Amino acid sequence: MWAELRDLRDNIDLGTPPREGVEVTVTIDGVPVQVPSGSSVMLAAAKAGKSVPKLCATDTLEPFGSCRVCLVEIEGRRGFPASCTTLVEDGMTVATQSEKLQKLRKAVLELYLSDFPEQDIEGGWSEFHQVLQQCGVTTHPYPRGANHQDAPIDESNPYFLFDPAKCIVCSRCVRACEEIQGTFALTIAGRGFESQVAAGQNQPFFESECVSCGACVQTCPTQALVEKSLFEGGYHRG
Amino acid sequence: MANPIKPDRSVVTTCAYCGVGCSFKAETYQGRIVRMIPWKEGKANHGHSCVKGRFAYDYYNHPDRIRTPLIRKSINDPWREVSWDEAINYAASEFKRIQAEHGKKSIGAVSSSRCTNEEIFLVQKFARAVMGNNNIDNCARICHSPTQFGMSATVGWGAASQHFDSILQADVIMVVGSNPTEGHPVFGSLMKRRIRQGAKLIVIDPRHTETVESAHCNATVHLALRPGTNVAVLNSIAHVIVREKLYNETFVRERCEWDEFELWTNLVGSDRYAPEIVGPQADIDPELIRQVAHLYAAGPNSAIYYGLGVTEHSQGSTGVMCLGNLALACGMFGREGVGVNPMRGQGNVQGGSCLGSWPHVFSGYRFVTDAEVRSSFEQEWGVPLDDEPGLRLPNMFDAALTGHFRGMYIMGEDPVQSDPNQHHVIAAMKSMECVVLQDLFLNETSKYAHVFLPGSSSLEKEGSFTSAERRVNRVRKVVEPLAGYQDWEIVVKLMNAMGYPAHYNHAGEILDEIARLSPAYKGMSFDLLERIGSAQWPCDENAPEGTEVLHTVKFPRANGRGTFMLTEFVPTAERTSDRYPLLLTTGRILSQYNVGTQTRRTANSLWHPEDVLEINPEDAHVRGIKDGDWLTISSRFGSTRLKAKLSQRVNPGIVYTTFHHAKSKANVLTSDLSDWATNCPEYKVTAVEVVKTATGTVSTHQHETFEEAAA
Repeated sequence: MWAELRDLRDNIDLGTPPREGVEVTVTIDGVPVQVPSGSSVMLAAAKAGKSVPKLCATDTLEPFGSCRVCLVEIEGRRGFPASCTTLVEDGMTVATQSEKLQKLRKAVLELYLSDFPEQDIEGGWSEFHQVLQQCGVTTHPYPRGANHQDAPIDESNPYFLFDPAKCIVCSRCVRACEEIQGTFALTIAGRGFESQVAAGQNQPFFESECVSCGACVQTCPTQALVEKSLFEGGYHRG
Repeated sequence: MANPIKPDRSVVTTCAYCGVGCSFKAETYQGRIVRMIPWKEGKANHGHSCVKGRFAYDYYNHPDRIRTPLIRKSINDPWREVSWDEAINYAASEFKRIQAEHGKKSIGAVSSSRCTNEEIFLVQKFARAVMGNNNIDNCARICHSPTQFGMSATVGWGAASQHFDSILQADVIMVVGSNPTEGHPVFGSLMKRRIRQGAKLIVIDPRHTETVESAHCNATVHLALRPGTNVAVLNSIAHVIVREKLYNETFVRERCEWDEFELWTNLVGSDRYAPEIVGPQADIDPELIRQVAHLYAAGPNSAIYYGLGVTEHSQGSTGVMCLGNLALACGMFGREGVGVNPMRGQGNVQGGSCLGSWPHVFSGYRFVTDAEVRSSFEQEWGVPLDDEPGLRLPNMFDAALTGHFRGMYIMGEDPVQSDPNQHHVIAAMKSMECVVLQDLFLNETSKYAHVFLPGSSSLEKEGSFTSAERRVNRVRKVVEPLAGYQDWEIVVKLMNAMGYPAHYNHAGEILDEIARLSPAYKGMSFDLLERIGSAQWPCDENAPEGTEVLHTVKFPRANGRGTFMLTEFVPTAERTSDRYPLLLTTGRILSQYNVGTQTRRTANSLWHPEDVLEINPEDAHVRGIKDGDWLTISSRFGSTRLKAKLSQRVNPGIVYTTFHHAKSKANVLTSDLSDWATNCPEYKVTAVEVVKTATGTVSTHQHETFEEAAA
């Protein structure tokens, strides 16, 4: 009755919320696995022990399908569907690893890296860093172009800060504020390259209606939103 | 480098703040706590948190923490730092001296809902087995004692009938005198989730709280009643249900006492509870009362959540009974999505209630006068026990003023700040010969203490808390106790120094003793909690992993049936007059916790640097008051000063403040009226006048006796 809350586990991120339903069988990289209908392919893969790289997906939030890292191949379907927004069907056969998929993921991650602080690529332990490692991406081929690396850091909240230089605009913070906390304090302002996380009416976090519950910080995959207590002597870029 | 440090260790434990009981992973780096991460497997919070539990943990190593025991002969002397042995021996010898000179019953103990189950249990054992009397009380006296009384009377147990997740099955959610999005934020988020899914919300609260209206969460009906009219309004809702035959007759016939139901229908069905009569008394539109009755009775699943806005009244117990009656009449018990649920303010109010920190009952609410129950405790503890109920906390203060009560052991409480009619409490404290206070910080009460024993925060000890949903959660030691000992170890030392042999190798052995002596906790153990994470009582051979929903088959009363209590409305004696024309009611805010001892020592104070008085612009205008003006607020009991905040959240005639800051002395104002059944103080209704004044923060004592005021 409460699978989406009660079937969460500390040691694994299933990628999308657990569901209740009739069990269906799917095959992930040759491994058969049973999951309730209504589950995502991503969740089935996690259950099969074949975790698919992901950034915008997490099992405490409804799937969103924006990061384009969790692509998979499904027998009988064209293209490379996102495993977070694709639901399982009985008898489905899924491949999470292939040369083509690796190439696609690498290309996407390199684009993210091209607007990420150069000096922080190494030595990090965020979800983003783990995905980079999982996909074997350490650098990107792009020249320095327009970027968000000098965007002002919002340190107004006493407990956490927001550094837009690390933000990949995956909307997890916005969705956590809505779906988990229910405050609706965050949004993505602007479009295209101008898109950015904004609190309230584009205010500092502290002055907005943010209640500082920490759900956005908890869910941020890149540590763009991060606890100040994890930085001795303050937060300094570069 | 802008990469954060990576915590090197984590311990799963339970938040020490409100009664939701969120589970956290406390992460440390090189031995110090650097982060609290809500635990995804926590059954109350499922990985969510609020600003208090998530961020406001720094108080634990605040420079104000006392790290050495302190003693002094007189409260006029300065404190002297001493060794643990000296402090414990001094306290014990003073207690023994007082008892030798003034009798066994001249001392007593008070425990706190911020302590673990194990500590609360030990403190009552200390009173009963070591002091040899039943002078033991706890702070639930001043918040949820009416819950204990009112719920037991109607449905058998004074506890939430549901688990929190149950709300996701509710179709109608009725929140009475509670503001979950501020007071119990993680539950508030769950409630909002359900409301976004389409459940209807009824709010009964004098204030236009955030629960009434926020983004994508609006109350279908808000009864902004006049403080003090709860019972009239709840009876009026029942009136409509009875007159229009909206009750669930099958449920009442099968599960309840029919004769008592008929008596109740006669009472609430009488004309004096018609919405058209009650509405004007309570300043609400009668049509809204009818709407609430229709919504609640129609369900199909209607769930009640209530807070101190119900209990902290002179008819607090009656208010709780009204809720029990309503739910029984409409068949809203015994399945998911229904029930009656108290929202508990402190982390372990439920544990404090369950585990015998009461002058009249042992753990499990069994009477000290019952010879059979008493003998089971005597066998376990090896001493004869007093068969006479002891003093309640307010009675301890009264007895202190008459010289019959001279010594007190207080663990983790600040009665001088939190209890009503502060001047009376201070006079009582001053008249005692030995007050032993065990706490993290010096506080308002320590000003009147003779021995200060530095306690440990919940991050420094082993034990368990019982949350508002009856869930027993493990508290685990994350860092070593700053002053050297866990609180339960200090109680054991004190017991030994008083000449009573007690020994436990670890806190789990105390829970084992609790399990042996308390039916609802029979199956609880550290092993069980280790294995399944947490368990809701009752937990025994019939429910080895605990019980989520109560009353599914029968009610825990002698005949197994729920019953209806007669809830005649008796207006409080505290009322407005020409001299005190406004009604003051009190509450809390998201970022601060209770008397603020912990949260005021964190950056949470940036959101709430001071208590303010919310006043409707209409009332402010006629008094020439503007936003930010200093005001003097006077009641029949005292006066204090606060800054004005003009606000539409309160109706004309009502003013509101929080009590998080000691300097604002909100409880100088509150009356000494209390619940007729349990002495729970009437914090929620005080007649006051407000005048604009010059800057200043001094509170003055202009106490007039209540008789004078009423005359």
